[in-house]
Amino acid sequence: MTTPSGATIRLEQARRLYHAGQPDEVRALDGVDLTISPGEYLSIEGPSGSGKTTLLNLLGLLDVPTQGRVLWQGAPVERLPERERTRLRRTGIGFIFQRFYLLPTLTALENVELPLQARGLAGAARRRRAQALLAQVGLSDREGSFPHQLSGGEEQRVAIARALANSPQLLLADEPTGELDSVRARQVLDLLEEAHRSTGAAVVVVTHNPTVAARAARHLTMRDGRIVTDSGGR
Amino acid sequence: MNAGRWSSRWRSLRHRTAQTILAIAAIGAAVALPVVLLSVGGGVFSHELSSIEESGFSISIDSAASHGISNAHALTKEIDAISGVQAASPMLSVPVDLFPPGGSVVPVLAEGVIPAAFLETQSAAERSLLPSSLSLGDPDDTIHYDNGTYAGPSSAQLLLSTPLLQTLDLTSGTVVGLSPSTNASAGSAFTIVGSFGLPPGLLGPSPLFVALLPLSQLQSLVGLAHSPTGTLLDSADSIQIAMVPSLAASPSGVQRVASEVQGLVPYYSVTSLTQQTTEIEGAEAIITGFYVGLSSIGLIVGLLFLVIILLRRVEQERQSIGIRRAIGVPGWMVARDIVAEALGLTLGGVCVGVAGGILTVELLARYTSGTISDIASLAVFDPAELVLLAIALVGLALLASFLPVRRALRLSLPEVLR
Repeated sequence: MTTPSGATIRLEQARRLYHAGQPDEVRALDGVDLTISPGEYLSIEGPSGSGKTTLLNLLGLLDVPTQGRVLWQGAPVERLPERERTRLRRTGIGFIFQRFYLLPTLTALENVELPLQARGLAGAARRRRAQALLAQVGLSDREGSFPHQLSGGEEQRVAIARALANSPQLLLADEPTGELDSVRARQVLDLLEEAHRSTGAAVVVVTHNPTVAARAARHLTMRDGRIVTDSGGR
Repeated sequence: MNAGRWSSRWRSLRHRTAQTILAIAAIGAAVALPVVLLSVGGGVFSHELSSIEESGFSISIDSAASHGISNAHALTKEIDAISGVQAASPMLSVPVDLFPPGGSVVPVLAEGVIPAAFLETQSAAERSLLPSSLSLGDPDDTIHYDNGTYAGPSSAQLLLSTPLLQTLDLTSGTVVGLSPSTNASAGSAFTIVGSFGLPPGLLGPSPLFVALLPLSQLQSLVGLAHSPTGTLLDSADSIQIAMVPSLAASPSGVQRVASEVQGLVPYYSVTSLTQQTTEIEGAEAIITGFYVGLSSIGLIVGLLFLVIILLRRVEQERQSIGIRRAIGVPGWMVARDIVAEALGLTLGGVCVGVAGGILTVELLARYTSGTISDIASLAVFDPAELVLLAIALVGLALLASFLPVRRALRLSLPEVLR
C-alpha cells in the first residue's frame, strides 16, 4: 500500500488489541485504514467502546498499534522509541481533552507556556507567544488565574490555546464540549473552527454530539473497532 | 461537580504538605543521628589527643600488675641518666583512710610522688593547679628513702585536694592521720602543708578526695616499701618520663629514648605518647566507622521513606505527568522535576537534621549531668564532615529518585488520560 503524498498522518491496517492472546482479549481497533490530509476537519462518531478514543490515541502517537503501520508525514513512526514520539507530539500535534486537563498548580499563562517551554523557547519570547494565544481565545484578562478560578468554558479555551502553542499540523479533540453547556460549547467550537482556518492544521474531533460532528467537513462513524462510514472526505 | 473536584484537589494539597513534612522529618531524624554521633565521638577523641599533645611527659612505663613496678627510686635514677630525659617521675596510687580531727574516717586516694620530678612531668595546665613548689619536705624523696632502707627521717607532710580540704573544713597546719585500713593506729600522722586543684575529668568525674605525699612515705604506710620478708619492693604503678624541650616535639627522639628505657625494663610496658596518639587515632577510625555504619541504617530507612513518598507522589500526579508527556514535555524534564523534588526534600531534611543534631548535643551538654553532659560538651562540629554528609545524602537522594523516575516515565499515557 502506498502513502498518498502530503498526508499528515495515515494508519494502515492498524489493529490495537488489549490482553492479546488471553481469554479476555479486547480488539479495540480492528484493521483501520485512515488518511488525514493537511487542513482537513474531520469528526469521528460512534457508540461507547467503538474504538474512537483508541483511534485518537494512535493518531496522537500516545499509543502504538499491535499490528499495522502509522505514518507521520510519510514516515513510519509505530516503532519509534517513546522519546521520538514525544518529540513529534511536541512539534506536530495539539491535544484538547474532554476534561481540559490543565495543570492545577500552574496559571492559565503557565499552562499555555508549558509546550513552548518543552520546545526550548526562551522566557520572554515564550511569554509573549503564550499571551498572544490567550488573547486569541479571549482570555487576556485571566492570564494569572489558576484553573480552579476559571469556568469550564474558560478552561477549555486555555486548553485550546495550549494545543495551538507549537503551531501543530494536527489538532486532536476528544469530546471537547462534553463538559460544557450549549453556549460555551458553541464558543469552543467557534474557536476550533477559527484555529482550523487560521493555522491550516488538520482537526480531528471525537464526539457523541451530532451538532459538534456537523461542523466537520468529513465524518467517520465507528463500530466495533472499525470505520463503518467515511463521508465527505477529499 | 467543579466544587467537588477542587475540594478534592485541596485535600490532595494538604495531603502533599503532610507528606513533605513527614519526609523532611524522617530524613532529618536520620541525619541528626550521625551529626550527634560523629560530633560527640570526634570531640571526645580530639580532646583525648589534645590532652596527650599538651601532656607534660612523653613516655610512660606501666606494669600489668597492681603496684607492679619495683625499685622505683633506683629505676628513676637510671632513667634520669639517659640522654634526652628531663625527669622521670614514679607514681603510686593507693586508696587509704584519712582521719581528720574529730574522729571521723574519710576514704581518699593517696598519690605518692617524688615532688620535684612530679612537677617537671606535669603539663602547664596541671602545674597551674599545684603550688609553685611542692613543699613536702624533701623534693627528691631521698632522705626518708635512704638508699632503700626507709630509715631516714620522715617529713610527714601532705597536700590535700581543695574539695577534700573544703569538705572537711581543714586548714594548713592541721595534723591528720592516714592509714591503709580503718584502724587509725595502723597509720601515721601527717601535717597538711597546702592544697591543690584537680584537673577536669576527661570522661566522668575524677576522684575529688586526693592526698599527695612523698612516694617513700606512702610506700612505707601501705607496706609497699618492703615485702613482709624484708625484701626491698619500692613499688610504683607507673613512671612518667618528660623529655628535654629540644626532643619533646621530635617523634624519633622520643622513640629513641623509649627504646633505651625499654632496654632497661624489658618486662614492663613502655609506651610513648606518639604511640598512644597512633592507637587513639586507630581507635577513632574504628569507632567512626562504627558510627557511620550505624548512621547508614538510619539514613537508609530515611531514604526508603523518601522513595515511598516519591512513588506515592508519582502515583498521585500520574495524570499531571501524563498530560505533560502527552503535550510533548520530554522525559528528562519530568525526571528533572522528580529529582529536584527528591533533592529539595533531602536538603530540607539535611537542614533539619543538622540543626536538630546540634540542638540535641547542646541540650545534652546544658541540661544533663555527669558523663553525658561531659561528653556532649566536648562535641566538635566539623563543617567538612557536615558537608560530606550532605553530599552523601544528595548522592543517595539521586539514587532514591531512580525508581520514581522510572515509574513516571513508564506510565501508560492512554491509561492515564482515559
